[in-house]
Amino acid sequence: MPALRGSLTYARFFVDGDAAPHDFREKYMRAIRLRAMKPLEPDEEELERSGWCKLAEPFELELHYNDVFCNEYVALGFRTDKWQIPGPMLKARVREAEAAYLEKKGREKLGRKEKAELKETVARKLRRQTAPATRMVDLVWSMNEGIVRFFSHAEKSGANMMELFHKTFGLRLVPESAYTLATRLGLSKAQESAWQEIEFTVLAKEEAS
Amino acid sequence: MDTFERIELRRFVGRELLLWLWFESEVFEATLETKMHGSFGLWLEGRLVLSAGQEVTTIKGTIPGQHREAKEALLRGKMPDLAAIHLSWADHDATLTLKAETLGISGLKLPRKEPDAAPTGEGTTAPPRRAPRRRAAPAAAAAELAASEANEDLYERMRVTREIEGIVEALYRDFLALRLGPAWSEVVVPALEAWTSGRSVDADRYGTARTKALSAAGTTRGSPRK
Repeated sequence: MPALRGSLTYARFFVDGDAAPHDFREKYMRAIRLRAMKPLEPDEEELERSGWCKLAEPFELELHYNDVFCNEYVALGFRTDKWQIPGPMLKARVREAEAAYLEKKGREKLGRKEKAELKETVARKLRRQTAPATRMVDLVWSMNEGIVRFFSHAEKSGANMMELFHKTFGLRLVPESAYTLATRLGLSKAQESAWQEIEFTVLAKEEAS
Repeated sequence: MDTFERIELRRFVGRELLLWLWFESEVFEATLETKMHGSFGLWLEGRLVLSAGQEVTTIKGTIPGQHREAKEALLRGKMPDLAAIHLSWADHDATLTLKAETLGISGLKLPRKEPDAAPTGEGTTAPPRRAPRRRAAPAAAAAELAASEANEDLYERMRVTREIEGIVEALYRDFLALRLGPAWSEVVVPALEAWTSGRSVDADRYGTARTKALSAAGTTRGSPRK
């Protein structure tokens, strides 16, 4: 979901904590580079990985200061790579490999460990023949406001981004909701206790009676 | 009640916010007002989705809130899930869809950039663009220029986005002042019930009572204009 063109679809997250330590730009730049996306390799055990990339450029992984800082904004792409080998294809290839293995060994059955190893070998071979699926979601952190705008509503993607954000900046994000926005706008003590008591407004009374 | 419960068990407040915006936009003929922004246009446009449990009603149309099914859905206990909203303020128009339970925004179409007042008729609103270069720039300089333009675009888009969010937040602040005080049951709910069941709502009377309640809650503003 792009931040730079077209219509905008995004979720807001509130930054919990002080976002601007001394010489934060240099510190943040180092932390971002440390967590920049490292593409998946077929022989790795990890099947999914996320990391930072340049805003709107999923394959730009060498991040420069001017790519990231734009006045009070920190602009990044949140890239996730995932191996997506179709299940039926993997099953079929595993069956073929098992049959060939049994024939070669002159046996009728495979052990559980052998089966798992064979499956991993086949999956690795298939991964070498394909490329992982890449997804990128733009993110803009407005440091003055303490708000991160994440250009997706996907829950899993948001949760993964929150985790990477915390690892990178040492700051927790709180997803926006009616309550978090209310506290951000400022609730008085009376309103805070009223919040705990409120119940759903029912307008269907006439129909019910 | 811990923070998790305050968030999860009160997500319906977002639905009630949408209901209230829908109601006020109809009662005040699409002209709302906040202390910070003065008066502006706001109406439901394009799509309105209401639900109760697994039952969902989707209404599409120019002004979906005025469809008969919309009020009938309310009477059957459904509440707004999401609503496409048109905002019109200070010569700008924007449309967006507000999701009730997360307050997430989708499909936000920002106002078009207006032509600059410069004699050439080119350029955009602030921040100002650079003057065109006389010669073709070398690759590095061209990349730098492209990056700079991308930054300007981002800055401008975020500025307008924040302006729109500011209006929504100001409305939410007013809504909370009513919702978390006695005015909700004394002023707003009776008006909502009348409006839902098709009875007329005295906009002036409601507006005066609402303004008084907001003043008492410390969120003073004038009556919305009819």
